[in-house]
Amino acid sequence: MYRTPARARRWAIATLSALALTAVAACGGNDGSGSGDGSGSADKADLTWSFWVGGTEDQAAWQKVADQATTDNPGITVKLQGTDWNNYWAKIGTLLASGKAPCIIGMQSLRLASYANAMLPLDELMQKYGLKTEEFDKPIMEGLKADGKQIAIPYDSGPMVIFYNKDLFEAAGVAEPKPGWTMDEFKAAAKKLTGAGRTGLVTTPGDLGVAAWVRTQTGAEPLADGKLALTDQKFVEGFEGYADFVRTDKFAPQVPSGSTDFETTQFVSGKSAMQLNGPWSLIDTKGKAKFQVGVAPIPAGPDGSKTYTAGSGFGISRSCKSPDAAFKAIMSMTGEKPLTTLAAAGRAYPARTAAHDAWFAAAKIDGAKETLDYASENSIPLVTSKNWVQVADLLNRFGTQALNGEIPPDQALKTIQDQAGAGS
Amino acid sequence: MVSLNTPTAAPPGAPAGAAPAGRRPALRRDGRYAGLFLAPSLAGLALFTLFPTVMALGISLFDWPVFGERTFLGIDNYTHLLNDPVFRRVVLNTALFVVLYVPLNVVVSLGLAVWLGPKIRGRQAFRVLFFIPVMTPMVANVMVWRLLFQPGGLIDTGMQSWFGVDAPNFLGSSSWAMPAIVAMSIWQGFGYNFLVFSAALDQVPQSQLESAQIDGAGPLQRFRYVTWPMITPSIFFATTMTLITSFQVFAQPFILTQGGPGVSTQTIVMYVYNQGWQFLTMGLASAAGWVLFVIIMGITAIQFVGQKRWVHYDV
Repeated sequence: MYRTPARARRWAIATLSALALTAVAACGGNDGSGSGDGSGSADKADLTWSFWVGGTEDQAAWQKVADQATTDNPGITVKLQGTDWNNYWAKIGTLLASGKAPCIIGMQSLRLASYANAMLPLDELMQKYGLKTEEFDKPIMEGLKADGKQIAIPYDSGPMVIFYNKDLFEAAGVAEPKPGWTMDEFKAAAKKLTGAGRTGLVTTPGDLGVAAWVRTQTGAEPLADGKLALTDQKFVEGFEGYADFVRTDKFAPQVPSGSTDFETTQFVSGKSAMQLNGPWSLIDTKGKAKFQVGVAPIPAGPDGSKTYTAGSGFGISRSCKSPDAAFKAIMSMTGEKPLTTLAAAGRAYPARTAAHDAWFAAAKIDGAKETLDYASENSIPLVTSKNWVQVADLLNRFGTQALNGEIPPDQALKTIQDQAGAGS
Repeated sequence: MVSLNTPTAAPPGAPAGAAPAGRRPALRRDGRYAGLFLAPSLAGLALFTLFPTVMALGISLFDWPVFGERTFLGIDNYTHLLNDPVFRRVVLNTALFVVLYVPLNVVVSLGLAVWLGPKIRGRQAFRVLFFIPVMTPMVANVMVWRLLFQPGGLIDTGMQSWFGVDAPNFLGSSSWAMPAIVAMSIWQGFGYNFLVFSAALDQVPQSQLESAQIDGAGPLQRFRYVTWPMITPSIFFATTMTLITSFQVFAQPFILTQGGPGVSTQTIVMYVYNQGWQFLTMGLASAAGWVLFVIIMGITAIQFVGQKRWVHYDV
């Protein structure tokens, strides 16, 4: 207080700089020795499970899944820590980085590559506790691997398929699509269904949708040897064909930017007759729609119908103190019983084949089983790069411009490749 | 430390430069108490504002992924930003938003405040009405506006049934998206400045307006020469605050367009959020945050210097 203001200020700045440098230095050493969750043994541990939930009802349903772990292993408790989808990814990133993450982490296949470094590979535990991988859908088991190591055990999965409005098809006199229908048949149907304020299709440039439409048309994939390859000739061709749905064929409406629910509102309100979506949304969509909903595989290009599978599962953070207990809990949570319960409630298309029937019974849609089995066979997991979140974000931004005809599709892909290619 | 009871050492008629010795210790003691009372908030400021600011400056000199190795880069993050066409566009977008939003906001809120002068009946009800958008959560507001703007939305269907033409794809067209966001933001935000201006207008003494009227001043002259000078402090406050918050615009483009189409509505804060929390590159995010900080500091400083020319506090 006796110092002149200028001197005091100099002192304050010096102190703060020193503090900041110390902090920078302290954070610099990432030795992962944070105080992790779940101290205990393989048989006795109190674990926390971080997961995305939509609301209190959702929270209650998932807590029941967590309770299955205690039913199977009386010494283990799992407490659900729910966050909504968008905040979940921001939160889990900081938690994993600080080494204070919960033991059990919800993980989505498309985001896995970004977080895999902070997750425990499960292969040894799978062997130790005899998890039978053949009981799960193969594409999603593959989809939850990073660098060949299993990072999470799936609870839901599903290939991208076409949802269609049976009533509109009937009114327009268009034959309902069957497995094996071709791109030409699809385009003819979409054109016929367009008119009188309606469109045959609705699409927005989401990563899964774009990748599936490109793959079925030209067989190209977004990554080649783990590197982003959006400017490869085959990918550009496929993407141009996809953009034409909106740009030149005009059987899909112009796309608003950043509206994640535009596709679903457009389809559910009966303004568009088809959309590409995952089975995880099917029962919900059917519940909201005031018409008959049908499902069909993605139309076949020159080499047949080809689509992508995505899904989610549970993994273990590296900072977890009792990975054995956490793995036992995950085995229970992805067991037949909880997955069947979730399926019967229509929450997720289960990753376990044995639970599929319960889901089809709940869905009550003719031909759903035939379609999904067919699509699953013709699908591969969408394996992503470390910076996939950025790629998906760019695809949404510049894809919108390409679809709306503001920029040429190849230029959109080049911009994305330039922006994100180096980090993949 | 000098005790309170130190005898007066200075002879009477000492040079003016040497303060009376009896007064100084009291001042110092006041300073000490003031410091004591300020300590909690100073500590808070240092811990939660100054420290993160300086820390961000430190992080901005690193390649700082949330996971994995950190490497010191020096000013590379800043040179990357300056050379990145996307970031340059993002800065331009933010400037465009500020240039469109701040004047329109002030004109609309001042206009309505003047219009709802003391003689209007039911002005309290209007005040509440205009303030409702400020009070409702931004996310809810944005959702409603999205239903208006999107293809097949309220504006689109309205135009189709009345004029038989499609409305522009407000949220999907690069030229319409930013005006759409500005329109939504003005509707959402003018209520606050409206209240500030209303309060200021109420403070203008009726007697002065009346004497101006007797002297033959018309309504425009009365506003220009009596009302305006008296409310300049409020206008200065409102423009400064609106300018700062509009440089930090995030929620409207984030929910309405996600910054698209392309990067036509992405703002600096959105860029920071995406780099930091979506793409997990903290170094670049911190650098972009500092660029924004410097821009806001600079413009606010210019405003404070410039206010001497037009703001009148002596009324």
